[in-house]
Amino acid sequence: MRSKLVLFITLCLVIPLHVSGNPGGVGNSLENMQCGGACHGDADQNATSNLQLSLQPSGTVWVGQPAEIVVQISGLDTSHALDELGIFLLSSTNANGDIPTTDGWDILSDGMGGANNYIEYTSVDSAVLTHSWILRADEVGEKILYVSVHHGDNTGIDAGSPFFGVSQAYSLSVEPIPDNLQRLDPEYKPPTSRDIGESTNLCVQTIAASNVIIEWREPSGLPNQLDTTQVNGCWEAELPASLVASNIEWRAILDGEGPQQTTPWFSLTSAEPSWEADELALMLQSIAHVVLFFGLVLLVRKPRRRNDEFKDYLEENI
Amino acid sequence: MIESATFHVITTELVVGSFALAGLCFVLHSVSSFRNSESKFVSMMDTTAHMALLFGLLALPFAIISGINSSPSGAHTSPLLANKMLLSTAGGGLAFGVLYARWKMSGGESPSHVHNAFGSISTGCMLLTASLGGSYTRGDSLTEFLPFVKEDTLLLPSWMSILVIVLILAALIFRQSSTIEHG
Repeated sequence: MRSKLVLFITLCLVIPLHVSGNPGGVGNSLENMQCGGACHGDADQNATSNLQLSLQPSGTVWVGQPAEIVVQISGLDTSHALDELGIFLLSSTNANGDIPTTDGWDILSDGMGGANNYIEYTSVDSAVLTHSWILRADEVGEKILYVSVHHGDNTGIDAGSPFFGVSQAYSLSVEPIPDNLQRLDPEYKPPTSRDIGESTNLCVQTIAASNVIIEWREPSGLPNQLDTTQVNGCWEAELPASLVASNIEWRAILDGEGPQQTTPWFSLTSAEPSWEADELALMLQSIAHVVLFFGLVLLVRKPRRRNDEFKDYLEENI
Repeated sequence: MIESATFHVITTELVVGSFALAGLCFVLHSVSSFRNSESKFVSMMDTTAHMALLFGLLALPFAIISGINSSPSGAHTSPLLANKMLLSTAGGGLAFGVLYARWKMSGGESPSHVHNAFGSISTGCMLLTASLGGSYTRGDSLTEFLPFVKEDTLLLPSWMSILVIVLILAALIFRQSSTIEHG
Protein backbone atom coordinates (compact mmCIF):
# COMPACT_ATOMS: atom_id res chain seq x y z
CA MET A 1 0.00 0.00 0.00
CA ARG A 2 2.76 2.39 1.01
CA SER A 3 4.77 1.74 -2.14
CA LYS A 4 1.66 2.35 -4.28
CA LEU A 5 1.07 5.64 -2.51
CA VAL A 6 4.68 6.74 -3.09
CA LEU A 7 4.39 5.71 -6.75
CA PHE A 8 1.15 7.67 -7.15
CA ILE A 9 2.61 10.86 -5.61
CA THR A 10 5.80 10.51 -7.68
CA LEU A 11 3.78 10.21 -10.89
CA CYS A 12 1.76 13.30 -9.98
CA LEU A 13 4.98 15.26 -9.52
CA VAL A 14 6.83 14.13 -12.62
CA ILE A 15 4.02 14.29 -15.18
CA PRO A 16 4.68 17.61 -16.94
CA LEU A 17 1.79 20.05 -17.02
CA HIS A 18 1.13 22.58 -19.72
CA VAL A 19 1.95 25.93 -18.15
CA SER A 20 1.37 29.26 -19.82
CA GLY A 21 0.41 32.82 -19.08
CA ASN A 22 -3.23 33.77 -18.81
CA PRO A 23 -4.66 33.10 -22.25
CA GLY A 24 -7.68 35.31 -21.66
CA GLY A 25 -5.92 38.06 -19.72
CA VAL A 26 -6.82 38.85 -16.15
CA GLY A 27 -9.14 41.80 -16.79
CA ASN A 28 -8.73 45.41 -15.78
CA SER A 29 -8.00 45.54 -12.09
CA LEU A 30 -5.84 46.88 -9.29
CA GLU A 31 -2.65 44.86 -9.56
CA ASN A 32 0.89 44.89 -8.26
CA MET A 33 3.74 44.39 -10.71
CA GLN A 34 3.12 41.12 -12.58
CA CYS A 35 -0.06 40.81 -10.51
CA GLY A 36 2.17 40.07 -7.53
CA GLY A 37 3.62 37.11 -9.43
CA ALA A 38 0.25 35.64 -10.38
CA CYS A 39 -0.23 36.98 -13.92
CA HIS A 40 2.18 34.52 -15.40
CA GLY A 41 2.28 31.99 -12.63
CA ASP A 42 6.02 32.13 -12.20
CA ALA A 43 8.20 35.13 -13.02
CA ASP A 44 11.01 32.75 -14.02
CA GLN A 45 9.00 31.85 -17.12
CA ASN A 46 9.05 35.42 -18.41
CA ALA A 47 10.89 36.51 -21.51
CA THR A 48 11.99 40.15 -21.70
CA SER A 49 9.78 42.47 -23.70
CA ASN A 50 11.51 44.72 -26.22
CA LEU A 51 8.74 47.31 -26.26
CA GLN A 52 9.82 50.86 -25.52
CA LEU A 53 7.92 52.39 -22.62
CA SER A 54 7.63 56.02 -21.62
CA LEU A 55 5.48 58.04 -19.26
CA GLN A 56 4.89 61.74 -18.72
CA PRO A 57 2.27 64.06 -17.26
CA SER A 58 0.45 66.21 -19.79
CA GLY A 59 1.01 69.36 -17.70
CA THR A 60 1.83 70.59 -14.24
CA VAL A 61 0.77 68.18 -11.52
CA TRP A 62 -1.01 70.19 -8.83
CA VAL A 63 -1.64 68.70 -5.44
CA GLY A 64 -5.29 67.64 -5.00
CA GLN A 65 -6.06 68.16 -8.70
CA PRO A 66 -6.57 65.64 -11.49
CA ALA A 67 -3.47 65.12 -13.60
CA GLU A 68 -3.32 63.25 -16.87
CA ILE A 69 -0.48 60.72 -17.00
CA VAL A 70 0.22 59.74 -20.59
CA VAL A 71 1.84 56.39 -21.23
CA GLN A 72 3.37 55.63 -24.61
CA ILE A 73 4.32 52.16 -25.80
CA SER A 74 6.19 51.83 -29.06
CA GLY A 75 7.77 49.05 -31.09
CA LEU A 76 4.53 47.11 -31.31
CA ASP A 77 4.94 46.33 -34.99
CA THR A 78 8.64 45.46 -35.04
CA SER A 79 9.52 44.04 -31.63
CA HIS A 80 6.70 41.59 -31.07
CA ALA A 81 3.73 40.02 -32.83
CA LEU A 82 1.10 40.24 -30.14
CA ASP A 83 -2.65 40.23 -29.81
CA GLU A 84 -3.33 41.17 -26.24
CA LEU A 85 -1.41 43.71 -24.21
CA GLY A 86 -1.59 44.39 -20.47
CA ILE A 87 -0.32 47.73 -19.16
CA PHE A 88 0.50 48.52 -15.53
CA LEU A 89 0.92 51.93 -13.96
CA LEU A 90 3.06 51.36 -10.86
CA SER A 91 4.56 53.33 -8.03
CA SER A 92 7.27 50.73 -7.30
CA THR A 93 8.51 47.42 -8.65
CA ASN A 94 8.44 45.35 -5.47
CA ALA A 95 5.53 43.14 -6.64
CA ASN A 96 3.80 44.17 -3.44
CA GLY A 97 2.43 47.60 -2.59
CA ASP A 98 3.07 48.79 -6.17
CA ILE A 99 -0.35 50.23 -6.86
CA PRO A 100 -0.12 54.04 -7.05
CA THR A 101 -2.91 54.31 -4.47
CA THR A 102 -0.43 53.02 -1.89
CA ASP A 103 1.87 55.96 -2.64
CA GLY A 104 -0.50 58.88 -2.16
CA TRP A 105 -2.19 58.80 -5.56
CA ASP A 106 -5.90 58.54 -6.20
CA ILE A 107 -6.79 56.87 -9.49
CA LEU A 108 -9.72 58.85 -10.87
CA SER A 109 -9.90 57.17 -14.26
CA ASP A 110 -8.05 54.42 -16.09
CA GLY A 111 -9.46 55.50 -19.43
CA MET A 112 -11.49 52.28 -19.71
CA GLY A 113 -14.42 52.94 -17.44
CA GLY A 114 -12.76 52.06 -14.17
CA ALA A 115 -10.22 53.29 -11.66
CA ASN A 116 -7.61 50.56 -12.03
CA ASN A 117 -3.84 50.69 -12.42
CA TYR A 118 -3.82 47.68 -14.76
CA ILE A 119 -5.68 47.68 -18.07
CA GLU A 120 -5.76 45.36 -21.05
CA TYR A 121 -5.99 45.98 -24.77
CA THR A 122 -7.46 42.95 -26.51
CA SER A 123 -5.92 44.00 -29.82
CA VAL A 124 -3.37 46.56 -30.89
CA ASP A 125 -3.51 47.95 -34.42
CA SER A 126 -0.89 50.67 -34.44
CA ALA A 127 2.88 50.70 -33.95
CA VAL A 128 2.60 53.18 -31.09
CA LEU A 129 0.00 52.96 -28.36
CA THR A 130 -0.85 55.95 -26.19
CA HIS A 131 -2.98 55.58 -23.10
CA SER A 132 -3.87 58.00 -20.32
CA TRP A 133 -4.66 57.64 -16.66
CA ILE A 134 -6.10 60.44 -14.55
CA LEU A 135 -4.46 60.52 -11.13
CA ARG A 136 -4.63 62.89 -8.20
CA ALA A 137 -1.77 63.39 -5.75
CA ASP A 138 -2.54 64.08 -2.12
CA GLU A 139 0.73 65.74 -1.11
CA VAL A 140 3.40 68.04 -2.48
CA GLY A 141 6.77 66.54 -3.42
CA GLU A 142 8.52 64.14 -5.75
CA LYS A 143 6.80 60.93 -6.71
CA ILE A 144 7.96 58.00 -8.80
CA LEU A 145 5.89 56.17 -11.38
CA TYR A 146 6.68 53.25 -13.68
CA VAL A 147 4.90 51.80 -16.67
CA SER A 148 5.08 48.10 -17.22
CA VAL A 149 3.71 45.67 -19.81
CA HIS A 150 3.07 42.00 -20.20
CA HIS A 151 1.98 40.20 -23.32
CA GLY A 152 2.54 37.13 -25.48
CA ASP A 153 4.38 36.85 -28.76
CA ASN A 154 3.30 34.65 -31.64
CA THR A 155 6.64 34.56 -33.45
CA GLY A 156 10.37 34.43 -32.70
CA ILE A 157 12.45 32.09 -30.60
CA ASP A 158 10.45 32.85 -27.45
CA ALA A 159 7.06 32.44 -29.13
CA GLY A 160 4.49 31.29 -26.61
CA SER A 161 6.40 32.64 -23.64
CA PRO A 162 4.92 35.32 -21.41
CA PHE A 163 6.80 38.60 -21.97
CA PHE A 164 7.34 41.23 -19.34
CA GLY A 165 8.84 44.70 -19.48
CA VAL A 166 9.13 47.63 -17.09
CA SER A 167 10.20 51.20 -17.77
CA GLN A 168 12.76 53.29 -15.96
CA ALA A 169 11.57 55.25 -12.96
CA TYR A 170 9.89 58.52 -13.92
CA SER A 171 9.99 61.25 -11.33
CA LEU A 172 7.02 63.61 -11.12
CA SER A 173 6.98 66.82 -9.16
CA VAL A 174 3.71 67.54 -7.38
CA GLU A 175 3.36 71.31 -6.98
CA PRO A 176 1.40 73.28 -4.38
CA ILE A 177 -1.66 74.94 -5.87
CA PRO A 178 -1.77 78.77 -5.79
CA ASP A 179 -4.30 80.38 -3.45
CA ASN A 180 -7.58 81.48 -5.03
CA LEU A 181 -6.86 79.55 -8.24
CA GLN A 182 -10.17 78.10 -9.41
CA ARG A 183 -10.07 74.33 -9.22
CA LEU A 184 -12.01 71.14 -8.66
CA ASP A 185 -12.79 70.23 -5.09
CA PRO A 186 -10.04 67.81 -3.93
CA GLU A 187 -12.76 65.35 -2.85
CA TYR A 188 -14.56 65.33 -6.22
CA LYS A 189 -14.57 61.98 -8.01
CA PRO A 190 -15.71 61.93 -11.62
CA PRO A 191 -18.01 59.10 -12.71
CA THR A 192 -16.19 56.46 -14.73
CA SER A 193 -19.01 54.21 -15.97
CA ARG A 194 -22.75 54.10 -16.50
CA ASP A 195 -25.41 51.84 -17.98
CA ILE A 196 -26.33 52.00 -21.65
CA GLY A 197 -29.29 54.29 -22.25
CA GLU A 198 -28.78 56.31 -19.06
CA SER A 199 -27.82 59.96 -19.22
CA THR A 200 -25.36 61.23 -16.62
CA ASN A 201 -26.06 64.15 -14.33
CA LEU A 202 -22.73 65.68 -13.50
CA CYS A 203 -22.38 67.59 -10.25
CA VAL A 204 -18.92 69.12 -10.41
CA GLN A 205 -17.76 70.53 -7.10
CA THR A 206 -15.30 73.39 -7.37
CA ILE A 207 -13.40 75.91 -5.28
CA ALA A 208 -13.08 79.59 -6.23
CA ALA A 209 -14.73 79.11 -9.62
CA SER A 210 -17.09 81.80 -10.92
CA ASN A 211 -18.23 79.86 -13.97
CA VAL A 212 -17.85 76.32 -15.29
CA ILE A 213 -18.38 75.00 -18.80
CA ILE A 214 -18.52 71.28 -19.52
CA GLU A 215 -17.25 69.89 -22.80
CA TRP A 216 -17.80 66.34 -23.99
CA ARG A 217 -16.71 64.43 -27.08
CA GLU A 218 -16.38 61.01 -28.54
CA PRO A 219 -12.75 59.92 -28.28
CA SER A 220 -10.68 62.26 -30.46
CA GLY A 221 -13.86 63.82 -31.87
CA LEU A 222 -14.96 67.45 -31.80
CA PRO A 223 -16.01 68.79 -28.39
CA ASN A 224 -19.59 69.80 -27.61
CA GLN A 225 -20.24 72.40 -24.94
CA LEU A 226 -22.81 72.14 -22.18
CA ASP A 227 -23.97 74.99 -19.99
CA THR A 228 -24.01 74.44 -16.29
CA THR A 229 -26.14 75.67 -13.44
CA GLN A 230 -24.83 76.09 -9.94
CA VAL A 231 -26.89 74.24 -7.33
CA ASN A 232 -25.77 73.93 -3.72
CA GLY A 233 -22.09 74.44 -4.45
CA CYS A 234 -21.83 72.16 -7.45
CA TRP A 235 -22.06 72.83 -11.15
CA GLU A 236 -24.65 70.63 -12.78
CA ALA A 237 -24.81 69.47 -16.39
CA GLU A 238 -26.28 66.46 -18.15
CA LEU A 239 -24.21 64.26 -20.42
CA PRO A 240 -26.32 62.58 -23.12
CA ALA A 241 -27.10 58.87 -22.93
CA SER A 242 -25.26 56.37 -25.07
CA LEU A 243 -27.29 53.83 -27.04
CA VAL A 244 -24.46 51.31 -27.43
CA ALA A 245 -21.46 50.22 -25.38
CA SER A 246 -18.99 53.04 -25.95
CA ASN A 247 -16.79 55.70 -24.38
CA ILE A 248 -17.24 59.42 -24.23
CA GLU A 249 -14.88 61.93 -22.67
CA TRP A 250 -15.69 65.11 -20.80
CA ARG A 251 -13.82 67.92 -19.14
CA ALA A 252 -14.56 71.09 -17.19
CA ILE A 253 -13.34 74.58 -18.07
CA LEU A 254 -13.16 76.73 -14.97
CA ASP A 255 -13.21 80.52 -14.86
CA GLY A 256 -12.28 82.55 -11.82
CA GLU A 257 -9.72 85.03 -10.52
CA GLY A 258 -6.78 83.17 -12.02
CA PRO A 259 -6.07 82.06 -15.57
CA GLN A 260 -8.70 79.77 -17.10
CA GLN A 261 -8.20 76.19 -15.93
CA THR A 262 -9.09 73.11 -17.96
CA THR A 263 -9.29 69.66 -16.43
CA PRO A 264 -8.00 66.59 -18.25
CA TRP A 265 -10.46 64.63 -20.37
CA PHE A 266 -12.30 62.20 -18.09
CA SER A 267 -13.37 58.96 -19.72
CA LEU A 268 -16.94 57.74 -19.18
CA THR A 269 -17.81 54.22 -20.32
CA SER A 270 -21.30 53.00 -21.14
CA ALA A 271 -21.81 49.29 -20.59
CA GLU A 272 -24.53 46.73 -20.12
CA PRO A 273 -25.97 46.83 -16.59
CA SER A 274 -23.71 44.83 -14.29
CA TRP A 275 -24.82 41.87 -12.23
CA GLU A 276 -25.55 42.69 -8.63
CA ALA A 277 -27.15 40.65 -5.88
CA ASP A 278 -28.63 41.68 -2.55
CA GLU A 279 -25.59 41.85 -0.24
CA LEU A 280 -27.60 41.06 2.91
CA ALA A 281 -29.23 38.03 1.25
CA LEU A 282 -25.81 36.75 0.20
CA MET A 283 -24.41 37.16 3.72
CA LEU A 284 -27.44 35.42 5.26
CA GLN A 285 -27.23 32.58 2.77
CA SER A 286 -23.54 32.15 3.57
CA ILE A 287 -24.38 31.83 7.26
CA ALA A 288 -27.24 29.49 6.36
CA HIS A 289 -24.78 27.33 4.40
CA VAL A 290 -22.49 26.98 7.41
CA VAL A 291 -25.39 26.05 9.69
CA LEU A 292 -27.12 23.81 7.12
CA PHE A 293 -24.07 21.73 6.24
CA PHE A 294 -22.85 21.58 9.82
CA GLY A 295 -26.30 20.36 10.84
CA LEU A 296 -26.50 17.96 7.93
CA VAL A 297 -23.37 16.10 9.04
CA LEU A 298 -24.71 15.72 12.57
CA LEU A 299 -28.32 14.96 11.67
CA VAL A 300 -27.62 12.13 9.22
CA ARG A 301 -25.47 10.27 11.73
CA LYS A 302 -26.93 7.09 13.11
CA PRO A 303 -28.42 7.74 16.55
CA ARG A 304 -26.81 5.96 19.46
CA ARG A 305 -28.81 5.01 22.55
CA ARG A 306 -27.89 6.94 25.68
CA ASN A 307 -28.19 3.77 27.79
CA ASP A 308 -26.08 1.57 25.48
CA GLU A 309 -23.28 1.21 28.02
CA PHE A 310 -25.70 0.44 30.85
CA LYS A 311 -27.47 -2.10 28.66
CA ASP A 312 -24.16 -3.72 27.72
CA TYR A 313 -23.24 -3.89 31.41
CA LEU A 314 -26.54 -5.57 32.27
CA GLU A 315 -26.23 -8.06 29.44
CA GLU A 316 -22.70 -8.97 30.49
CA ASN A 317 -23.87 -9.69 34.05
CA ILE A 318 -26.89 -11.76 33.18
CA MET B 1 1.44 46.59 5.64
CA ILE B 2 0.50 43.49 3.69
CA GLU B 3 -2.31 43.98 1.17
CA SER B 4 -5.56 42.00 1.40
CA ALA B 5 -5.00 40.39 -2.01
CA THR B 6 -1.53 39.15 -1.00
CA PHE B 7 -2.78 37.90 2.36
CA HIS B 8 -5.64 36.17 0.55
CA VAL B 9 -3.18 34.26 -1.63
CA ILE B 10 -1.26 33.07 1.44
CA THR B 11 -4.33 32.00 3.41
CA THR B 12 -5.95 30.40 0.37
CA GLU B 13 -2.89 28.27 -0.22
CA LEU B 14 -2.99 27.16 3.41
CA VAL B 15 -6.67 26.26 3.11
CA VAL B 16 -6.34 24.48 -0.23
CA GLY B 17 -3.23 22.54 0.81
CA SER B 18 -4.76 21.43 4.09
CA PHE B 19 -8.13 20.49 2.62
CA ALA B 20 -6.51 18.63 -0.29
CA LEU B 21 -4.48 16.55 2.16
CA ALA B 22 -7.58 15.96 4.28
CA GLY B 23 -9.64 14.91 1.26
CA LEU B 24 -6.99 12.48 0.08
CA CYS B 25 -6.77 10.94 3.56
CA PHE B 26 -10.56 10.61 3.85
CA VAL B 27 -10.64 8.70 0.55
CA LEU B 28 -7.69 6.51 1.51
CA HIS B 29 -9.27 5.87 4.90
CA SER B 30 -12.45 4.59 3.29
CA VAL B 31 -10.61 2.53 0.68
CA SER B 32 -8.23 0.93 3.17
CA SER B 33 -10.93 0.29 5.79
CA PHE B 34 -12.76 -1.84 3.20
CA ARG B 35 -9.76 -4.14 3.09
CA ASN B 36 -8.60 -4.18 6.70
CA SER B 37 -10.28 -1.93 9.22
CA GLU B 38 -7.81 -2.94 11.94
CA SER B 39 -4.82 -1.72 9.98
CA LYS B 40 -2.55 0.92 11.52
CA PHE B 41 -2.71 2.74 8.19
CA VAL B 42 -6.46 3.28 8.66
CA SER B 43 -6.04 5.04 11.99
CA MET B 44 -3.13 7.04 10.57
CA MET B 45 -5.32 8.27 7.70
CA ASP B 46 -8.11 9.07 10.14
CA THR B 47 -5.85 11.20 12.33
CA THR B 48 -4.15 12.93 9.40
CA ALA B 49 -7.44 13.73 7.67
CA HIS B 50 -8.94 15.37 10.73
CA MET B 51 -5.81 17.27 11.74
CA ALA B 52 -5.41 18.62 8.19
CA LEU B 53 -9.10 19.54 8.15
CA LEU B 54 -8.74 21.36 11.46
CA PHE B 55 -5.74 23.32 10.17
CA GLY B 56 -7.58 24.23 6.98
CA LEU B 57 -10.64 25.26 8.94
CA LEU B 58 -8.53 27.55 11.15
CA ALA B 59 -7.16 29.31 8.07
CA LEU B 60 -10.55 29.50 6.35
CA PRO B 61 -11.98 32.61 8.10
CA PHE B 62 -8.81 34.54 7.21
CA ALA B 63 -9.14 33.44 3.57
CA ILE B 64 -12.81 34.45 3.39
CA ILE B 65 -12.33 37.82 5.09
CA SER B 66 -9.21 38.75 3.09
CA GLY B 67 -11.00 37.61 -0.08
CA ILE B 68 -13.93 39.92 0.62
CA ASN B 69 -11.57 42.80 1.43
CA SER B 70 -9.49 42.30 -1.70
CA SER B 71 -12.53 42.67 -3.94
CA PRO B 72 -13.07 46.43 -4.27
CA SER B 73 -16.74 46.10 -5.21
CA GLY B 74 -17.72 43.20 -2.93
CA ALA B 75 -18.75 39.59 -3.51
CA HIS B 76 -22.31 40.59 -4.39
CA THR B 77 -21.23 42.23 -7.66
CA SER B 78 -20.15 39.08 -9.47
CA PRO B 79 -21.89 35.69 -9.70
CA LEU B 80 -18.48 34.04 -9.63
CA LEU B 81 -17.52 35.73 -6.35
CA ALA B 82 -20.94 34.99 -4.89
CA ASN B 83 -20.54 31.31 -5.80
CA LYS B 84 -17.05 31.34 -4.26
CA MET B 85 -18.46 32.65 -1.02
CA LEU B 86 -21.35 30.16 -0.95
CA LEU B 87 -19.12 27.22 -1.79
CA SER B 88 -16.51 28.13 0.80
CA THR B 89 -19.12 28.51 3.54
CA ALA B 90 -20.72 25.21 2.51
CA GLY B 91 -17.32 23.51 2.64
CA GLY B 92 -16.55 25.20 5.94
CA GLY B 93 -19.87 24.04 7.42
CA LEU B 94 -19.24 20.47 6.32
CA ALA B 95 -15.70 20.52 7.69
CA PHE B 96 -16.86 21.95 10.99
CA GLY B 97 -19.55 19.28 11.21
CA VAL B 98 -17.11 16.50 10.38
CA LEU B 99 -14.64 17.67 13.01
CA TYR B 100 -17.35 18.08 15.65
CA ALA B 101 -18.75 14.63 14.86
CA ARG B 102 -15.28 13.07 15.10
CA TRP B 103 -14.63 14.80 18.41
CA LYS B 104 -17.88 13.37 19.80
CA MET B 105 -17.06 9.82 18.73
CA SER B 106 -16.07 7.43 21.48
CA GLY B 107 -12.48 6.28 21.66
CA GLY B 108 -12.73 2.98 19.83
CA GLU B 109 -15.18 4.16 17.21
CA SER B 110 -13.99 4.58 13.64
CA PRO B 111 -15.51 7.11 11.23
CA SER B 112 -18.07 5.68 8.81
CA HIS B 113 -17.92 5.91 5.04
CA VAL B 114 -20.64 8.57 5.16
CA HIS B 115 -18.45 10.59 7.51
CA ASN B 116 -15.52 10.26 5.10
CA ALA B 117 -17.78 11.21 2.21
CA PHE B 118 -18.75 14.44 3.98
CA GLY B 119 -15.06 15.17 4.57
CA SER B 120 -14.29 14.55 0.89
CA ILE B 121 -17.21 16.71 -0.27
CA SER B 122 -15.91 19.47 1.97
CA THR B 123 -12.56 19.18 0.19
CA GLY B 124 -14.33 19.26 -3.17
CA CYS B 125 -16.11 22.48 -2.21
CA MET B 126 -12.83 24.10 -1.22
CA LEU B 127 -10.97 23.02 -4.34
CA LEU B 128 -13.81 24.26 -6.53
CA THR B 129 -13.76 27.55 -4.63
CA ALA B 130 -10.04 27.89 -5.25
CA SER B 131 -10.50 27.03 -8.89
CA LEU B 132 -13.13 29.75 -9.24
CA GLY B 133 -10.56 32.13 -7.75
CA GLY B 134 -8.27 31.16 -10.61
CA SER B 135 -11.05 31.91 -13.07
CA TYR B 136 -11.61 35.30 -11.46
CA THR B 137 -8.00 36.46 -11.25
CA ARG B 138 -6.36 34.64 -14.15
CA GLY B 139 -9.28 34.09 -16.51
CA ASP B 140 -8.35 30.44 -16.69
CA SER B 141 -8.72 27.42 -14.41
CA LEU B 142 -9.25 23.67 -14.35
CA THR B 143 -13.01 24.15 -14.00
CA GLU B 144 -13.56 26.05 -17.24
CA PHE B 145 -15.92 23.22 -18.22
CA LEU B 146 -18.38 24.51 -15.61
CA PRO B 147 -19.51 27.77 -17.17
CA PHE B 148 -22.67 28.08 -15.07
CA VAL B 149 -20.72 28.81 -11.89
CA LYS B 150 -19.37 31.95 -13.53
CA GLU B 151 -22.64 33.27 -14.83
CA ASP B 152 -25.35 32.20 -12.40
CA THR B 153 -25.79 31.84 -8.71
CA LEU B 154 -28.65 30.31 -6.75
CA LEU B 155 -29.48 33.07 -4.30
CA LEU B 156 -32.18 32.51 -1.71
CA PRO B 157 -34.34 35.32 -0.38
CA SER B 158 -33.29 36.54 3.06
CA TRP B 159 -36.35 35.08 4.79
CA MET B 160 -35.62 31.65 3.40
CA SER B 161 -32.03 31.74 4.65
CA ILE B 162 -33.27 32.73 8.10
CA LEU B 163 -35.84 29.92 7.96
CA VAL B 164 -33.13 27.39 7.07
CA ILE B 165 -30.95 28.58 9.97
CA VAL B 166 -33.86 28.39 12.42
CA LEU B 167 -34.99 24.95 11.20
CA ILE B 168 -31.54 23.41 11.39
CA LEU B 169 -30.83 24.89 14.82
CA ALA B 170 -34.23 23.68 16.04
CA ALA B 171 -33.56 20.19 14.69
CA LEU B 172 -30.15 20.09 16.37
CA ILE B 173 -31.54 21.29 19.70
CA PHE B 174 -34.47 18.88 19.49
CA ARG B 175 -32.18 15.96 18.78
CA GLN B 176 -29.77 16.99 21.52
CA SER B 177 -32.55 17.17 24.09
CA SER B 178 -34.27 13.95 23.01
CA THR B 179 -33.82 10.72 24.93
CA ILE B 180 -31.38 9.47 22.38
CA GLU B 181 -27.77 10.52 22.46
CA HIS B 182 -26.26 11.38 19.09
CA GLY B 183 -22.68 11.79 17.99
